Amino acid sequence: MRKFLAIVAREWRAYFFSPLAYVIVAAFLVMNGLIFYAIVNFLNSPNAPKGQALPYLFTNYYFWIFNLFVVPIIAMRLFAEERKSGTIEILLTSPVSETEVVLGKFVGALGFFLTLWAPTLIYVWILRSQIPIDLGPVGAGYLGIVLLGGYFLSVGTFASTLTKNQIVAAILAFGMLIPIFSTGLAESMITDPSKRDLMTYFNLWDHMEDFARGIVDSRRVIYYLSATAFFLFLAVISLTAKKERP
Amino acid sequence: MIEVQSLTKRYGTHAAVEEVTFSVAQGEIVGFLGPNGAGKTTTMRCLTGFLPPSEGSARVAGHDIVSDSRSARANTGYLPESAALYPEMRVREYLAYRARLEGIKASEILDRVEEIVGLCLLEEVADRKVENLSRGYRQRTALAGSLVHQPPVLILDEPTVGLDPAQIIKIRETIRVLGRERAVLLSTHILPEVDAVCDRVLIIDRGRIVAEGTPEELRRRLAGTPVVRAAFRGEVSSVEALGAIPGVVSAQQTPGVGETRVRVECAEGAEVSEEIFRLAVSKGWVLRELSRESVSLEDVFVRLTHHEEAEAAPPEEAASGEEPLAGEAPEEAAASRGESARIES
Repeated sequence: MRKFLAIVAREWRAYFFSPLAYVIVAAFLVMNGLIFYAIVNFLNSPNAPKGQALPYLFTNYYFWIFNLFVVPIIAMRLFAEERKSGTIEILLTSPVSETEVVLGKFVGALGFFLTLWAPTLIYVWILRSQIPIDLGPVGAGYLGIVLLGGYFLSVGTFASTLTKNQIVAAILAFGMLIPIFSTGLAESMITDPSKRDLMTYFNLWDHMEDFARGIVDSRRVIYYLSATAFFLFLAVISLTAKKERP
Repeated sequence: MIEVQSLTKRYGTHAAVEEVTFSVAQGEIVGFLGPNGAGKTTTMRCLTGFLPPSEGSARVAGHDIVSDSRSARANTGYLPESAALYPEMRVREYLAYRARLEGIKASEILDRVEEIVGLCLLEEVADRKVENLSRGYRQRTALAGSLVHQPPVLILDEPTVGLDPAQIIKIRETIRVLGRERAVLLSTHILPEVDAVCDRVLIIDRGRIVAEGTPEELRRRLAGTPVVRAAFRGEVSSVEALGAIPGVVSAQQTPGVGETRVRVECAEGAEVSEEIFRLAVSKGWVLRELSRESVSLEDVFVRLTHHEEAEAAPPEEAASGEEPLAGEAPEEAAASRGESARIES
């Protein structure tokens, strides 16, 4: 556990030593600042349904564009960087298991992802001082962020074990996330009800809307957690197999 | 402390290390010597659990490197060839991180880091970022990182590469001190290093161990026919008389200006210098020089690892460029070594 936490702490801190992280933070805050502006604008109209304002934070287009593009960039360095610099040799010859390494790096990256989101809690606090806000849906929305961020980051973690080139790792992750994301969107194109039902399991967009409305469906939670576990498992396998090959 | 039994590592059909067997005892510093690409790094990577061996077995501090890899790794301090570090970390911070990775208790970490900073002479730079350090300090920081958990076994892959002479002397001193109570396996292709630091040498070439022994033993074993050189003032006739001395195999005159130089080959173990001196006195020759030809470790090394051109570069290996050989020009060897390092990692 101590070793795992050492890896988590190093990964999380390492982000703040790279200029890329600050670019991501800045872009993220600008984007969410604009969305907050839109939310406030929306509340300005006299008969706006005030309860629907905040969920917009989690259900806009930019939210998805950000997650699809930026999560691969957050995750790309996890293994590719160490493989390139050679520090992976130190990590893998320490008495630490591959699982601890993968989980430690993943949690460190998730920590950075959540650090990005932390300032948005200020929006909640500001709005709360003006209009009544039900904290249930807000909490569910943030739970959705954690689950979705974890899922996407696990894909990025796996992609990063495949190559020593960070850009390639990011593109691979993006290439995997696009089908994962768009499979669910195909729901609207299918008419057969049984197939439609199946597709709802993969419809990430709808899931986020549900979370933002305060609906925490255990099937969704299990889907996210098991998919995350699956990709982290692949990352462990890939890391172990990389030892076999030069 | 390190026992290696018929260790083999193959990449596809190419064997980087083949049937390597050796052991390193506690309190012993063993030099792992070989030309670039001979399999030193691959062997070390197998021992440290970074690469799984294809065949054979090895034990480090009594733990099998495959079935009990974690315990083996916990008892090993490994300095990789790259001496890679995290550039954004400060030296103390890096050492504390390594200590945490080794599972050292939080309460002991500070003491352990201070101790190792002192041992590796890092006080001056302990709060500087790794990326701002000179090459020598980086190397020392990497070495310190491998020592932080006080491992009984040390595996150091080219610990002095890229250092200036003063730094090399310091690092060697540190290694000698460390080797008093530990088992140290140290790879190098710098020959004087072996003489300066190691108790025993393993010479590896093209994946196989070709010689083993103390530097002294190797020199003796590979010296071949002992040779004595003598020089006499002016022209000396009847040099052949030297050939009559018991123990002398042959005496040949070699070119010399204003003097007569003779190369005397003698039988193994024969002590002929005194007889040559007596003969010179009795003949009235003026002896200017009388010396035993000594074989340097360099000669031993070159003799063991030098291959005939055709043998050295079989077409498929030469084409793959994966195995730089002793016969190559240094630049070429270095370049293709960089290549192979990239392929390996």
